[in-house]
Amino acid sequence: MRRWGGWWAAVAVGVGIVTACQERLTSPAECPELCPGGSPQVFDTIVSAVVGADSSFPSPADWASGGGYVNRGRGTALLLSNGFPGSEDRPVYRFAPRSDQIAVRDTFRTFTIDSAQINVTILARDTLVGGLKLFLYRIPSGVDSSVSFTGIEPLLGPASLLDSIVVPDSVHTGTVSAVLDPTEVGRVAFAGTDSTLAIALRMTADQPTGIRVGSLTSSTAATFTSFVTVDVPDTGSVRHQSISRATAFNTFVTENPLVPVDSLLTVGGEPSSRAIIRFGLSREFLDSASIVRATLELTPVAPIYSLRGDQSLIQAVPVIGDVGAKSPISSDSIAIRQGTDTLPLVQADTIQFNVTRHVQVWQGAPDRPQSIFLRMGPSGEAATFARAQFFSTRSHAADPSVPVAPRLRITYQRSFRFETP
Amino acid sequence: MRRALVVLALLVAPLAAATAQSSQFGVRGLGAPGRALSTRAFSAGGAFGLFDGESGLNPAALGRVSALGADFTSLQDFRHVENPAGSASVREARFPFISIVGPVKRYPAVLGLSFANYTSRDFTLATVDTLPLRDVPVAVFDTLSSRGSLSDLRAAGAYRIHDDWLIGVGFHVITGSARMNFHRVFADSTNYQSLNQGSELSYAGVGLDLGLIRNFGPGFSLAATVRSDGHVNVDKDSLRAGTIDLPYSFGFGLRWRARPKLELASQVLMHTWSGANSDLLAQGGLGSDNNYEASFGLEYTPNLRRPARRPLRLGVRYGTLPFLIDTGEQPKEFGISAGTGIRFAQERAGVDLGLEHVWRSAGAFKERTFLLNLGVTVRP
Repeated sequence: MRRWGGWWAAVAVGVGIVTACQERLTSPAECPELCPGGSPQVFDTIVSAVVGADSSFPSPADWASGGGYVNRGRGTALLLSNGFPGSEDRPVYRFAPRSDQIAVRDTFRTFTIDSAQINVTILARDTLVGGLKLFLYRIPSGVDSSVSFTGIEPLLGPASLLDSIVVPDSVHTGTVSAVLDPTEVGRVAFAGTDSTLAIALRMTADQPTGIRVGSLTSSTAATFTSFVTVDVPDTGSVRHQSISRATAFNTFVTENPLVPVDSLLTVGGEPSSRAIIRFGLSREFLDSASIVRATLELTPVAPIYSLRGDQSLIQAVPVIGDVGAKSPISSDSIAIRQGTDTLPLVQADTIQFNVTRHVQVWQGAPDRPQSIFLRMGPSGEAATFARAQFFSTRSHAADPSVPVAPRLRITYQRSFRFETP
Repeated sequence: MRRALVVLALLVAPLAAATAQSSQFGVRGLGAPGRALSTRAFSAGGAFGLFDGESGLNPAALGRVSALGADFTSLQDFRHVENPAGSASVREARFPFISIVGPVKRYPAVLGLSFANYTSRDFTLATVDTLPLRDVPVAVFDTLSSRGSLSDLRAAGAYRIHDDWLIGVGFHVITGSARMNFHRVFADSTNYQSLNQGSELSYAGVGLDLGLIRNFGPGFSLAATVRSDGHVNVDKDSLRAGTIDLPYSFGFGLRWRARPKLELASQVLMHTWSGANSDLLAQGGLGSDNNYEASFGLEYTPNLRRPARRPLRLGVRYGTLPFLIDTGEQPKEFGISAGTGIRFAQERAGVDLGLEHVWRSAGAFKERTFLLNLGVTVRP
């Protein structure tokens, strides 16, 4: 019995030792006694952009001739506002022509219009501002991309008013309609050979505000539907039909468009601009520093306004190859996500982009240009109220001692000096 | 002997990290010094180390071995650490000593190979600090960890002269590496990215030791040893980072069979680690000082006809540690130990068990640890 007891004791000890083999080594420490190599210091430095190497595209001359990344009206939304501090805008739609005959059983037949409906899609609004009301005006059907705010605004008078739409406060997005009954349908009647309806919009609300409405690019442009009675002896669906016309052209006009200036960096606007900023961090610095945070700091020339509840995005994207305006940009999702900043309602002071990933890429890829592209978020170009102009290396603030040129603020630490031994 | 080498190779091969107890007192310098002791010697506070052929302290002690055998030792460490930054309970398992020893046929000689921990550099230290970053205080959490050790590979031989004198010589290869890692995390992890940085230190050196045992009959013996380890080259990520002088070591011990069932022993070991002081200071360390260890132990054998069956071993030791963590005071340690063992399979195999409670301190830095040592002996 004692023999078996000894064996069991030995086995128990063995099992205990084996099961106790889980390691737990972490213990608290206090420097400098238990910090071999010391405690690494963290440094902060500001690096200005290469002087004269920052610019925005298109140039003022190209912009004046209509050049840009996304033209007015080609964005994912059209702007409409009333007293909004950012800008005063009016959207314009021109529908496809509506023939005065309709084909029924291989025969073109005339019709009479019973009623009509115009649908407008609201993409975004300030949901805290109530009393939104849209006004639809008929404008000359020859409207095109050369139209201006001063050319449209005088046309929006009582004589050209088609209808108005009261938008309930509960409706934040979606389609709203103006219906013209038989007594009003004459407002969309055509005379002579003209068979195209064009409209412009105005709005009112309880407070100065703006909304974004649908466009062709986002397949949310306005539609024009006529409900007609066809001149046929039948009854029912053949006799009563609807003729729907989609938007063939749309744009919006702005009272004070953002005009690029050579000495400033323009981002956004219509046609939309982008900017490139170049830096010249030394290889010695990049090879020896561990970057823990890098921010690109830009000082706006004037406040940048966004619509409440529909803030705009501005992006600082790393460049793969620097060839100017058409430089290929990185598709690194982490860098893009980090470098994207949501603008507040009013951005009046310095805006900071997290570009840590960008600078870390420069550390690992010496051939990668130290260039950063600035642009409005992909769905915001030529479709947002936010329009930005920043100081460049060629401009300065009213107080020259205040740094306003584009700059990198880099927080880094030197490589940890492991104590040897 | 060839079979013995194969056994040793099989034992050593899987032990990538074979080290002795690590501690906060092993953070600076070359680490926490190891003890090349079998479980039997460990259980008696190390007092029998200079006479124990299964330990690695004295090459002359190999001459006391009469049959081929291999010893494998594991060590479980349960430690409570205290310092000004706080306290923590840690634990780890290691394999600090392996040896294989066998006599040479037709000659009064014994050869042995052993693998021992020279110093251990296993630790993970966590610190918390607050740094002003961009005019905002940001908490940072640093973790510095090291995994590795210096190992002592010994090839030794002993020669018996009329059973009265045993002389031995050993050649040591001191080698190893330590993988260091520094990790920093910021409390504001949204804006500040964490850092991770690693480095590997590797070590290489050689040493030589001589040993002597004088037996005055079966009841009383004296032992002495002297060892020189020269220096160790330190490479950091394959680039030479420096050279550290290693110590001369001196040991003296006595063994007395006071009663047929009771054997007493004591020994003193001294290491001239002050020779490394200037090298450590030159490389940014806190320096080192000479250290010693004095130990006293006994082994009580209940059954003289079966002396290897559950003997009782007790020991006590006191010593200093070579590497300073606070320039004002040299670390010291005190330990009490106990253990026993059993042989079976016609004494061809055995298990020894030892338990030691150790107190270490240097100013505000303290730790208490229980060391559980399990030794397995095989005599093929």
